[in-house]
Amino acid sequence: MKNILYKAFAIAALSISLISCSNDDSENISGNGKITLKFDNAFGANDLILNTQGNTTSNNEVLKISLVKYIVSNVVFTKADGSTYVYPKSKSYFIADEATAAGQQFQLSDIPAGDYTKVKFGIGVDEEQWKLGAAGQGDFLAQADDAGMMWSWAAGYKFFALEGNFTSPTVTAATPFMIHTGKTGTDYNYTEVTLDLPTKALVRTDITPAIHIITDLSKVIDGPNKIKLSDNNMGGMGAMIMGGANLPIITQNINTMFRVDHVHND
Amino acid sequence: MKKIFVLLTFIIGFSAFSFTEKDSISVFTFKRIEMMEDFDCDACGCSASGGSMGFSSMLNNNFVGLRYFKQSYTSRDGIFANSPWIDENFNTIQAWARIPVTEKIQISALVPYHFHERQLTAGTQSIEGLGDITVMGLYTIYETKKDSTVFTHKVNIGGGVKIPTGQFKEINNLGTINQSFQLGTGSWDFPLVSEYVIKHKNLGLNTTLNYIFKTENSKNYQYGDQFNYAGTFFYLFDANKFQIVPQAGIAGEVYQTNIQHGLDVPNTAGDILFGKFGIEAGKDKFSIGVNAMLPISQNLSNGNMEANYRWSINLNYTL
Repeated sequence: MKNILYKAFAIAALSISLISCSNDDSENISGNGKITLKFDNAFGANDLILNTQGNTTSNNEVLKISLVKYIVSNVVFTKADGSTYVYPKSKSYFIADEATAAGQQFQLSDIPAGDYTKVKFGIGVDEEQWKLGAAGQGDFLAQADDAGMMWSWAAGYKFFALEGNFTSPTVTAATPFMIHTGKTGTDYNYTEVTLDLPTKALVRTDITPAIHIITDLSKVIDGPNKIKLSDNNMGGMGAMIMGGANLPIITQNINTMFRVDHVHND
Repeated sequence: MKKIFVLLTFIIGFSAFSFTEKDSISVFTFKRIEMMEDFDCDACGCSASGGSMGFSSMLNNNFVGLRYFKQSYTSRDGIFANSPWIDENFNTIQAWARIPVTEKIQISALVPYHFHERQLTAGTQSIEGLGDITVMGLYTIYETKKDSTVFTHKVNIGGGVKIPTGQFKEINNLGTINQSFQLGTGSWDFPLVSEYVIKHKNLGLNTTLNYIFKTENSKNYQYGDQFNYAGTFFYLFDANKFQIVPQAGIAGEVYQTNIQHGLDVPNTAGDILFGKFGIEAGKDKFSIGVNAMLPISQNLSNGNMEANYRWSINLNYTL
């Protein structure tokens, strides 16, 4: 019987020693890894459900959303010490699309291993890039065209597109709306967002952090700036907001609609 | 009388320890805890009753038992207000054995087998297999020797190791609220247990305090340490060769935050308080027990997870 006791203690002792060995986690951080940026579209506290879900704004307008697309660009990661890694511009343009799996998350590769605390990205295509001309756009021009995120080369990219139907206290029949942002004659309307990560993203050769970003679409017309679709329903044909003075203030709203919910280090 | 006491101790042990360990947060944790609890229970029951009652012959007996327990949870399948709530059902069959080494020292082992399932929006997910085996040693540090005293007391302490025999899969934790849909923690964990039993005639109170130190597993995931407490009143009815012991009490669990790669995993700390009740019946060498636990208050996974109930049935045999 005593043998059993001794064995039990031996097992306990052994396991403790094993643990103390395996906990040396001062790994040398080197090499490259990947990061997944996941864009999860929401409306307020609710997950976005296309077409069927009525989403109510503070102006009592109810939106049923059928399309959400936006260009995510110029990704920059910041470490705790303030140093940054700028993802190469040649591959730093993505199209988020609620309707497709490929449009909901983007994997960025060849990122130096490290502990990152912030992510920055643009919504739209920066003016510098656009000024390179059609030939300077690489494959992205065709990609944006296919996704319907171009007006024309001269008019430029659509940076952000939100479409669907709405009703309001004054517009009782379901009426289409479209909100497209991009450059206008007076404003370029590209905006950049910097988000703190609630948990550090540990990029390693064997860890690919997933940064789960929530995009709160309610902010587009119901953010710091309030826009009523009813006020833009010209002639009852639908609220088409694609230019003019609304775009800069919608762009300001877009700048506030992102947050990082959590980071997986798996 | 001897048998009654033995039974009583058994029952007490079971009731006291049987459920405390299940945490909604960490399934494995539960298992471990359970094991430990069971241990404690067993140990307490057997040693306490036998020892304190002066039934030294009982001390040399070995016990084997089987227990089935079920835990029902509901958790949010997603991070949004309109994310659906899904059911999670954890089932465990557990075999245990207790081997007295000396009058005051016992060794216990718990071997759980789990079959869990949950109805994710994407479809039902099931896992099944051996859980983490726990081996513990228990020591009776105080025991009232006289039968004649108004109150009898018994104090047990113990410690052991939970061996990562259950499979831990990172993928099971990915993107889900419940970070404990696993067969094991994947880590070597170390329970410390204590139990105090006070009895007056046929009425008794069993209180237990357990703490489980958890370590980092090979996937750099570390479940948060767990603290369990329970208090259970029991009463022994003795009808000739047949004993019945109803019992009721509370049991609570407190979970620390899980850690992955040295970073806190959000919304993994929590606590829960259960009301528990049950009944045990014994005859000759057999005893059978049924227990149920219902939550009184809980805060698991920042409100994104709720325990609904737990119940168990056990059958024990004195070798």
